[in-house]
Amino acid sequence: MVTDKEEVFSIQTIDLTKRFAKKKHRGIFGFLRRNQANNKHNGVTVALDKLNLSIRPGELFGLLGPNGSGKTTTIKCLSTILIPDEGTAIVNGFDTQKETAMVRASLGMVVGGERTLYWKLTARDNLTYFASLYKMQRSHAKKRIEELLETLQLADRADERLEDYSTGMRQKVAIARALLHDPPILLLDEPTLGLDPGFARQIRNQIKELSEKQGKTVLLTTHYMDEADQLCDRVAFINNGKIVAVDTPNRLKARVKEKEVVEITVYSPPADIEQYIRFLLPDAEVVKLIPGDEDEGDASRIKIIGGTPEQHIGTIIDALRQKKIRIGNLNVGVPTLEDVFIKLTGTKLTEGKT
Amino acid sequence: MNKNKTHRLREVNCPTGLNWSNLKAELKAVWEASIKDWKIEFAYPVSFIRQLISPLIFLMPFLLYGLALIGGRYSENLAELVGNGDMVAFIFTGYIMMGFIGTAVWAMGFSIRRERWFGTLEAIYVTPSSRLGQVLGMALHSTVYQILGTIIQFIVIYFTFGLALKIEGILPAMAIFALMMLALYGFGIVISALGLILKEGWVVSDSLYSIMSILSPVAYPLAVLPTVAQQASYLFPTAPALDGMRSFLIENYQPEVVGNVFLYLIGLGIAWILFGIVVFRLTDVYVRKRGMLTKF
Amino acid sequence: MEGAYQQSVLRSNLSVVWNEIVKNNKTLLAYPAILIFWAVFPIFWFIPFILQGEALVGGLQSANFAQITGSGEYIPFIVIGAVLNSYVNTLLYGMGENIRREAYQGTLDYVLAAPCNKAYVLIGKAISESVSSTIFAASQLTISVLLFGMNITLGVMLPVFFITVLLMLGLYGMSLMLAAFSLMYKQSYDLSQTIGYVFYIFAPVRYPTESLPGWAQIFGKLIPLTYALIIIRSFMLLGTDFSAVYTEVIALIIIDAILLLAGFYIFSWMEEKTKKSGTISHH
Repeated sequence: MVTDKEEVFSIQTIDLTKRFAKKKHRGIFGFLRRNQANNKHNGVTVALDKLNLSIRPGELFGLLGPNGSGKTTTIKCLSTILIPDEGTAIVNGFDTQKETAMVRASLGMVVGGERTLYWKLTARDNLTYFASLYKMQRSHAKKRIEELLETLQLADRADERLEDYSTGMRQKVAIARALLHDPPILLLDEPTLGLDPGFARQIRNQIKELSEKQGKTVLLTTHYMDEADQLCDRVAFINNGKIVAVDTPNRLKARVKEKEVVEITVYSPPADIEQYIRFLLPDAEVVKLIPGDEDEGDASRIKIIGGTPEQHIGTIIDALRQKKIRIGNLNVGVPTLEDVFIKLTGTKLTEGKT
Repeated sequence: MNKNKTHRLREVNCPTGLNWSNLKAELKAVWEASIKDWKIEFAYPVSFIRQLISPLIFLMPFLLYGLALIGGRYSENLAELVGNGDMVAFIFTGYIMMGFIGTAVWAMGFSIRRERWFGTLEAIYVTPSSRLGQVLGMALHSTVYQILGTIIQFIVIYFTFGLALKIEGILPAMAIFALMMLALYGFGIVISALGLILKEGWVVSDSLYSIMSILSPVAYPLAVLPTVAQQASYLFPTAPALDGMRSFLIENYQPEVVGNVFLYLIGLGIAWILFGIVVFRLTDVYVRKRGMLTKF
Repeated sequence: MEGAYQQSVLRSNLSVVWNEIVKNNKTLLAYPAILIFWAVFPIFWFIPFILQGEALVGGLQSANFAQITGSGEYIPFIVIGAVLNSYVNTLLYGMGENIRREAYQGTLDYVLAAPCNKAYVLIGKAISESVSSTIFAASQLTISVLLFGMNITLGVMLPVFFITVLLMLGLYGMSLMLAAFSLMYKQSYDLSQTIGYVFYIFAPVRYPTESLPGWAQIFGKLIPLTYALIIIRSFMLLGTDFSAVYTEVIALIIIDAILLLAGFYIFSWMEEKTKKSGTISHH
C-alpha cells in the first residue's frame, strides 16, 4: 500500500542489465582466414549496466547520451521488446517480464518514427489497424482517430497514402498512433530526429502539452541537448549503460560554474592540441577538442572547463598564435548540458559507439 | 530501491486472459490484420492480378505434360493404381492443394518477416495483442486469395478440358479441406517463427514447400513414392486430405476413405497447432532476449 | 591527384567490370545458405514431374513422347528442360533484382552518378550473374546425372555449352529490358515473373511444343529458350550434330541480336527518363 509519505514512480528500473554477444560474420570462407580467434565471439557488449532509473508520474524526463550509450536499449526493455538479462523494470505498476500485455497497454511509443508505419496505407487506415491491436472498441477508436487527426492537423490528408506525406507528417502519424489508446506513459525515442526546424518545434510543443496539460509521464531520449534543456523536468545522463547524473537541467548546469567554460574556435589544429593546452592550464578539469568539418565551413572547437580559464585567455591565445594555429572565435560561457556531459564523462553527446 | 513504491498512474482498460472479451478483441485484431494485408495488396495491382492467375499458370504444365506423355487424358497405369484413369480430374483435385501449402509455407511463413521488412514489427510488438494475430491475419488473407485462385482454375479447366467430379462429394470434401487447413495453419505458425531467427528465411520456406509438394500426392498417387516417403507424407495433412477429398470427388477412386480420415486430420490439426504455438512462444522469447526484432 | 586518372579508357572500363563482378560475388558468398539452395534445390521442383510420368506411363518410356520428339525417354527430357529453365530464371531475374537491391540499399544513386560508362557496370552485373547461374546449373545437372543415370560425354557438352552461351546473349538483352523497367516501375519483380510464366507455358520446358495448340506454338517460336531446348535435346537425346538443327541455331542468333539491341536501347532511354523524373532511388 502506498502511503502519503512514500514517493511514487510511473517507471522504475532496478539494476537493469543487458548484454549482447559480439560476433563477427566472416562469410563462407571465414574459417580459412588467419587468426581463428576472431571467428568466435569477440566478447560481450554491456548495453545496460545495473541501470537504476525512477520517473515520477506526470514528469517529462529526458535521457541524454551519445550513440551506443544505452538509451534505445532502455526504451526497448521498458516497452518489452527486449528482455533484460538481470534486474527489473516496472511500468505503471506492472512488471515488464511478468505482465507484458498490461505494460504494453500502459505505454504509447514513438521509436523509429516514419519507418514504422505502412506507407501504402492512409493515415486513417494505419490508425484504424493499430487501434485494433490496442484492443480498442470500434466506435471508440473511430472517435479517437478523428480527434487525433484534428489535433495534429492531419484531417485534410487523412485519406492519402503515407508515401505521399512529408517526413514530418509521417512522424505526426507515429505520434497519433502512440496516443490512440490514451496511455498514461509515453516513450519517445529521438522524436525530432531528421525533422526540419519547423516540424521539430511543433513536435516539441506537442510533447510539452502532453506532459503539462494531460499529466502524462513522458520518457524522452535524445542527443539534442537544447531539446532536453527546453522540455525536460529532469534529465539523466547515460553513458556506457550507466546513469552518470540525474537532476533538473538548471541544477546540472550549475555543476559547471558560468565562468568556468571557455570555447575557442580554431582551424586545422594539430593532433596534440589537447595535451598542449592541458600543459598550459594544469588546473583545467576538461580540455576537449571537438573536430569540425572545415570543408563544410564548420571549424573545430576547443572546450576548456574548470580551472578558471578566462583568467588565462591571453596566455592561451599567445600560445596558439606561436604554434601558428588560426583562431576563429572565443566564447566565455554559459554552460550547456553538453558541457556538463563532457565534464562528467569526457565524451561529447554526439560521439559514442555506433 | 523498493519496487513496491511504483504507482499505477491510471488503471488501464485492456482485456487480457481467457475470457470472451479478450477473445473478441484478439479475433478483431486478426480480422484487421487481414484487412490491412488486403489494402496493401490492392496497392500493387499488377502483383495482385499476377498472383491470382499464378495457380492456373503452374497447373497447366502438369496437365499439358500429362497429355503429351499419354497422348490423351486417360491413363491405364493411373487407373490400375487408383481405380480411375482420368488424369485431368486427378491432377486438378491435387493441384488445388499447392496453393494452400503455399498459404502455410509462404504467406504465413513470411508474415512476420514482412512486417520486419516494412519496419512495423516493433510497433506491432509493443501492442497488447498477440503476435500470432499477424500470422493468422495473413493466413486468413492468403486463404481467401487461394480460394479465388482456385475458382479461376476451376472455371478455366472446366471449359478447356471438362471435369468429371461427383457433386454429392463436394460437402464432405470441403469438410476434409477445412480440417486440413487447421493443420496447415499450425505448420505455418512454425515456419513464421523460424522466419524471425533465420536470416535467409525464404530458403527454408522454399525448401519446405518443395519437400511438401513431393510428399503430397498432387500429380501422382503416393504408391509411386518409396515406402519411407509414403510414411513420412502422413506427418503432413495434405496426403490424407487429398486421398480423402479425391475419394469423395472422383468416381471409383481408391483407396476408399474410411471414417478415421476425419479423426486423423483432427488429431493432426490439434498436434500441429499446439506445436506451432509452442515454437512461436519460444522463438518470441529467444528473439526478444537477443534483440533480433529489427535484424534482417 | 592528377595521376590518379591517367589510365587508359579501356583499362578503367575493364576495371569497372572486374570490380562489379568481385562485389557481386563477395555479396553472394556472404549467404552460404543461398548458394547451397540454388546449387541443389531446383531439382526438387521437377521431381514431381518425373513421379507423375511414372504414375501415368508405368515405366521410363513414353510412346507418345517418342512419336513427337524421336525419343521416348521423358526423364532426361524433363531434366534438361528443368536445368535450363532454372538457369534462365536465375539469369533473367538476377539483373533486375541486382539493380533493385542497389536501389533498396541506397547505392544506386552513387553508381549512376559515377563518371564511368554505365554499360560496363551492367556488363559486370551480367557476367557475375552468368557465372553464378552457370555454376548452379552445372551443379544441378551433375546431381541429376547421378540420381537419374543420364549419359553425358564431353563431346556432347561442348556444343551444349556453345548453345548455352548463345542463349545467354539473348537473355542479356531481356535482362537489360527488365533492369530498365526496374529503374522506373518498382513492380519489376512482377514483370519478371510474368515473363517467366510465358516461358514456363510456351517454351518446351516440360513437354514438346508440338503438343501445344497451333496458336501457342507461335508464341513459343518467339522465345530464345525454345530453340535452345530443341537444339540441346537434339544433341543429348538424339545424338545429332549442328547440321540437323542449323535452322534453329540461325533463329536463335537472330532473336539474340534483336533482344540485345532492344535491351541496350531501352535501358539507355529509361535511365535518362528516370534521371529527369528523379525516381531512381524510390522503392
